[in-house]
Amino acid sequence: MGNSLRRYGVWVVVALVGAVCWGVLALSRGETINAGWLLFAAIASYAIAYRFYARFIQRRVLETDDSRATPAERLNNGRDFEPMDRRVLFGHHFAAIAGAGPLVGPVLAAQMGFLPGTVWIIVGVILAGAVQDMTTLFFSMRRDGKTLGQMAREEIGPVGGVAALVAVLSIMVILLAVLALVVVLALAASPWGAFSLAMTLPIALLMGVYLRFLRPGRVLEVSLIGVALLFLAIIGGGWIAESSPYADFWTFTPNQIVFALIAYGFVASVLPVWVLLAPRDYLSTFMKIGTILLLAIGIAVTLPSIQMPKVTEFASTGAGPVFAGPLFPFVFITIACGALSGFHALVASGTTPKLIQKESQVRFIGYGAMLMESFVAVMALIAATTLDPGVYFAMNAPASVLGDTVQSASQAVNGFGFQVDPQTLTQTAQNVGEESIIGRTGGAPTLAVGMSAIFSSIIGGAALQAFWYHFAIMFEALFILTTVDAGTRVGRFMIQDMIGNVYRPFARTSWLPGNLVASALIVGAWGYFLYAGVNDPLGGINQLFPLFGIANQLLAAVALTVGTTILIKMGKLRYAWVTGLPLAWDAAVTLTASWMKIFSSDPTLGFFAQRAAAQEALANGELYGTAQSADDVRQIITNSTVDGILSILFALLIIIVIGDAVRVWFGLIRGGQRPEMSEAPWEESRLDSEGNEIEREPVGAGR
Amino acid sequence: MPASPLLKPFRYAWEYLKEISGENSYDRYLQTHAATHPGKSPMTRGEYYRARQDEKFANPGSRCP
Repeated sequence: MGNSLRRYGVWVVVALVGAVCWGVLALSRGETINAGWLLFAAIASYAIAYRFYARFIQRRVLETDDSRATPAERLNNGRDFEPMDRRVLFGHHFAAIAGAGPLVGPVLAAQMGFLPGTVWIIVGVILAGAVQDMTTLFFSMRRDGKTLGQMAREEIGPVGGVAALVAVLSIMVILLAVLALVVVLALAASPWGAFSLAMTLPIALLMGVYLRFLRPGRVLEVSLIGVALLFLAIIGGGWIAESSPYADFWTFTPNQIVFALIAYGFVASVLPVWVLLAPRDYLSTFMKIGTILLLAIGIAVTLPSIQMPKVTEFASTGAGPVFAGPLFPFVFITIACGALSGFHALVASGTTPKLIQKESQVRFIGYGAMLMESFVAVMALIAATTLDPGVYFAMNAPASVLGDTVQSASQAVNGFGFQVDPQTLTQTAQNVGEESIIGRTGGAPTLAVGMSAIFSSIIGGAALQAFWYHFAIMFEALFILTTVDAGTRVGRFMIQDMIGNVYRPFARTSWLPGNLVASALIVGAWGYFLYAGVNDPLGGINQLFPLFGIANQLLAAVALTVGTTILIKMGKLRYAWVTGLPLAWDAAVTLTASWMKIFSSDPTLGFFAQRAAAQEALANGELYGTAQSADDVRQIITNSTVDGILSILFALLIIIVIGDAVRVWFGLIRGGQRPEMSEAPWEESRLDSEGNEIEREPVGAGR
Repeated sequence: MPASPLLKPFRYAWEYLKEISGENSYDRYLQTHAATHPGKSPMTRGEYYRARQDEKFANPGSRCP
């Protein structure tokens, strides 16, 4: 009795803290609310979920078995298979799943108020995102680290397998385009930002040569040098921005940045990795972890007030300027990383499962790292919602709606039902060292303004706010570019592999013509969407981001379908809801969103309605929406057609994968025979929980 | 060098950093190499690192946005 009190007493306290924080968030009536409530509601919820739900999944549902040797132990080759300390592996896994996604989505979703995003990030990660990561990691580990595509093919069937492959490639293209778009929007007309980011190229080159030839393998040393140079580049950017001839030189139009990025993406994909990719990887990983830590400390120390209302009217009207559509399903599409991200299933079925020491560690690594990422998303949400809502909307509505001047922007914001006076907008831009902050969509600049306010209130005060703003921009742009590098290369390999099935030499990744063609194909694909997004007269991010969200959740649907199928095959039908419920939710969200994007008669929401309306306008010789010319209208027609067709493709893929799996499920449940599974056979482990070799006596084997 | 208990967290953090960055993976390789291939001379640090890097990125896997 006393024992169980001690055991559970602390959890009762945690539950109470969480409940009180949630209560305050839900019932608050005041103008503002302290971010601390949100922070502690999140932490308490994560702690309880990790202790109870994740443990339930680990013990009852997956029945992890620590006496069973993991592939890392059985196939240890000192390279890709190798038992790795769980804390180190946690770090690697977290670094691989935490990218720019959790920073952008919550910022955009903040247009509906802080509460919808918060609830989805926290509840979503506990019941869906972390479950997906943990189960995929476990199932891949039991299959010697098979990829999601391979598992889909083996457990569901060839149709599911092909659909998964197409899904992965198309999500990659949209993803790279959207991320590159975020960079373009953050750097256009910002000499400071453009200079600092351009400087990361010579810095990476220097680091690459240093690591490869001068002092091979001295990673910490070179990272330290790199980070120091990065700070110099940010400071240098400040000087550049102030001296007019240089500032003009470093001021680029969006399209100049688009072509620079496309050229960069191609070159980085063709060159050997040590030149750019590997050093950038180190640099951005260190920056990422450091900045996230700094942000956590900043929020915990300053406990800023959240200015954004709890729920705005856009949640029900669906007429928000940042992206169109009502709360359901679009909040759940917009916030993917941080709550449920299909992309993680690729990481969880790639490198990580080959390095796990003990089966039970899938809980710490799979579930735990995803909780961490969710926490990053919560912090991004806090940083964005502590801004004045008027400033938020002046930054995130499409530039074409806001007009060119602070006065017109202020009026437009009034039209949304929020107040901001022109001086505030001018002042905010001045504080962060930019010409203007109007219509700086994409999420990154908003987050950077929020972060710079938090950072400068701890270090440097108002004098350093411009520095911190560009630090935040640089940090986001840096790791978006790293993703662009790496993603382009992954896409290139996938294309080479696909063509390689038809024409042999292509499959050899070192074959230069194949390399060039495949690189050009993948860069051309995302480059097209990037260019279309930047030049979209209606504002690119609000058109493309929902597509990216749908594609990402589509991948989650594949992962959860594979998980549910395997659970049923394992004879765990009564626990199949663990992945089945998130799958049902995810399918409902993605299919509803696709339905709206395809069939809605509202031209701001439905792609084909938009196409029809624009066509009609063109036929009548009129302009459409915020288009300035007939060419703009034609551009709108092309974009909405392409986006609409993609929406149909994604919806079909989801239906095919789930439909094919349901067929398999019914066969399994009706047939009653022992299903075929491609699990690797059981073998006894010779490692203890710390990874040390043990002398196994006949006794005490089954711990 | 007597380690002060106050410094312990920092030492731990440093060890962790070395481990996670791959800084000490060569030392580890030397150990395993000596144990598994006695008598054969191991790669130099440069050779080892370059081989490792090429391998790691030959199959870049994926990372999340």
